[in-house]
Amino acid sequence: MRYIYSIIKADYLQRTRSYAFLITLAITFYAAYCFVPPPTAPYTTLNVVGYKGVYNSAWVGYVSGMMTAIMLSLYGFFLVNGGIKKDIDTEVGLIIATTPITNFGYLLSKMLSNLLVLLTIAGCTFVVSIIMFFVRTSGSPFIISNFIIPYLLFVMPAMVFISSLAVAAEVFLGRKSILQYIAFFFFFGALMANINEQKDETLAVIIDPYGIRTMTTSIKNLVNTQYHEHIEGVSLGFTFGSKRGFRIFEWNGITINGLFLASRLLWIMISLGLVYLSSFFFHRFDFKQAVSKKKKAPANEQKLATPAFAATGISRALMPPLVTDYSIIPFIKTELLLLVRKGSKWLWLITVGGSLSMLFAPVAVSHLYILPVLWFLQVTRLSELATKEETNRLHYFTYASYKPLQRMLPAQILAGIILNVALAFPLILRYLIASNGYAIFNVISGAVCIVLLAVCIGIMSKGKKLFEIIFFLLTYTITQALPVADYLGAMPHGNLIGYMTVILSLNIFLAVVSFVIRGYQSRHL
Amino acid sequence: MSLVIKNLTKQYNQHKTGLTDYSITIEKGVLGLLGPNGAGKSTLMKIIATISKPTKGTLFLDGEDIVANPDKIRKILGYLPQDFGVYPNLNAYEFLEYIAAMKGVGGHGLRKRIDMLLEGVNLTADAKRPIGTYSGGMKQRIGIAQALLNDPKILIFDEPTVGLDPEERVRFRQLISDLADDCIIILSSHIVSDIETIADEVAIMKSGMLLNKAAQPDIIKLVDGKVFEALVNNDEVSGIRTRHQVIDTGRQKDKTRVRFIDRLPQPEPGAVAVNATLEDAYLFLTQNNN
Repeated sequence: MRYIYSIIKADYLQRTRSYAFLITLAITFYAAYCFVPPPTAPYTTLNVVGYKGVYNSAWVGYVSGMMTAIMLSLYGFFLVNGGIKKDIDTEVGLIIATTPITNFGYLLSKMLSNLLVLLTIAGCTFVVSIIMFFVRTSGSPFIISNFIIPYLLFVMPAMVFISSLAVAAEVFLGRKSILQYIAFFFFFGALMANINEQKDETLAVIIDPYGIRTMTTSIKNLVNTQYHEHIEGVSLGFTFGSKRGFRIFEWNGITINGLFLASRLLWIMISLGLVYLSSFFFHRFDFKQAVSKKKKAPANEQKLATPAFAATGISRALMPPLVTDYSIIPFIKTELLLLVRKGSKWLWLITVGGSLSMLFAPVAVSHLYILPVLWFLQVTRLSELATKEETNRLHYFTYASYKPLQRMLPAQILAGIILNVALAFPLILRYLIASNGYAIFNVISGAVCIVLLAVCIGIMSKGKKLFEIIFFLLTYTITQALPVADYLGAMPHGNLIGYMTVILSLNIFLAVVSFVIRGYQSRHL
Repeated sequence: MSLVIKNLTKQYNQHKTGLTDYSITIEKGVLGLLGPNGAGKSTLMKIIATISKPTKGTLFLDGEDIVANPDKIRKILGYLPQDFGVYPNLNAYEFLEYIAAMKGVGGHGLRKRIDMLLEGVNLTADAKRPIGTYSGGMKQRIGIAQALLNDPKILIFDEPTVGLDPEERVRFRQLISDLADDCIIILSSHIVSDIETIADEVAIMKSGMLLNKAAQPDIIKLVDGKVFEALVNNDEVSGIRTRHQVIDTGRQKDKTRVRFIDRLPQPEPGAVAVNATLEDAYLFLTQNNN
């Protein structure tokens, strides 16, 4: 067990000592603050139509715990995913493969370090929830168990599950992170839908790793009993613009029964079982399998035997005269080439198919669902737009080149925009035919926005992860039709010009931040 | 052409200093940088390559301040970093075209220029393969080719022979000699023999400071008459270590051959004076300047 502890410790430290993690923590603190909105806020996190819960320790603790379980599951997968890939990329895996550690031991240590990272974040929301209790309530008794129970029974099993799911996804879906993201996107959506729509209450408790049904049923039953109502809809999550309730009810937490406790234990067992199952399929850094299934052209033995440098050497006098060309066109060409070559052919096939489908699908569906998902499919391409030099250790050349800030960065941004606009072209064409200039502006502005967001976050965090998490959350919330996440003008907005100005200002802000920080980085290696 | 560096200091943070009050003038020819790990060789090269800003000091190229105007040197710079990477999905042609764009090299002659460089580093046959499939030595050679793309007047090679096999190293030295006629070449290496065979002048560094900069014979003169070799019993080696600065030891059956720099007025019994080398001078300077 000692070596497992060492692996977990090293893995945990490696992950948490990054800008991306720090920024994630900062966002988490803000999110935790938002979980308990003031009465005047334009949104709720637990919505009971026509009713309003009193802010007491149960309400604050449980809502905060439940929101943490859901939100952290949603982006936590992206945050912790990639632990095995890191060991492959850094070739630490080769060392690990030669040690006596078992496959299960290694995967379990990865899963536990994932869990530790997620629990660190959950720990932050726990502390903020207690602070928020004192900020939002007055005179209500502080009952600590109302904070501990939701984090222990909702958050912990959910995080154990997400941690093991991230490990299993890496084992079964290899290094294709985009495939893992898509699979998780649909899995999460299906899981939430199944929890909410399950009619059988017992089954609903069992199939729910988050405990959502137990909590919403408890609230629903309280309101229905107290006010002789037949309310069905109790929803969790950020609900904007909902009508605030008039009637007040005081909820004091869930009743913990055997079934609920058994379901928590079951999810922890399922998670461990998933890791155990994965251990049978784990490649153990057999690179023929882990790196690529494509046949690599072997470094030709015969060629290696030939002289490394030509006997004639390199004669400057014989070289053609030097012609200078400082345009950014060759950069854009190479950036596009890199974008095209990134990812597999089947992903391109899906992308092109999705793009063409916008010619025939209803315009609203194309704009609200197909386009954001289509752009999200490019997440691994966009996330490395401004990070790939450093990832591939090419930044020494880039930063030492002629005017890198004026040529290199604009080329990367332009290549990303060209890709996004090209994918959106069928929709733009339909808006063009309909003479809808506003919509065309919004689509292009959205394409620019997501590219600048990728570039800005990539430059700030020096990694891809944070953008991938944010892009996933954005895409998920857009497909849930939340106007606050609408960066591509897919939903109706009361003040269209105001909305367009906001996105435009955001784009300018992202561009300025990107250029300023990259300018500093390029002179401070 | 001359590169004049005056009182250069690079302070990374309160506890870490890269260079301290470093001054040097570099003229045409090959300057070899020698120094132990952490001596500041890479820091100095990064500052000359304009990818790191000094905390203090000036750097002038033919009278032009290149800290304030980095683009002046970038146009004529060829830089091979110590730990560089490549885009694995690009082939050698595409990669060199990309680097050419960075350096602002274009026109109809570019393709021929790339062909000649690939031929020079013997990668023509592999030029269409993704660089991700290259061996370490091949990647190093593509790195050397990219450094020469813009016909540079200043060439900076940071540990260029890492990853090259012995034959490749010999060829590389030859290549540098061919290029050294009309430009400044700054070259760092841990392998003293690489520097010894290529460099016109040698700069020895330690802890961010310049210990000495001179032509090789002048540096070797510092230890002339002080280097000895003796064949001693194995148990006598530790005694010699306390009395002299041991440069090298080698086992020979039941004896040990010890090469050392004499610290005492009277020589070790049985010791024979030998010709000093750059390595002797380097170790003498770096181990006696704390």
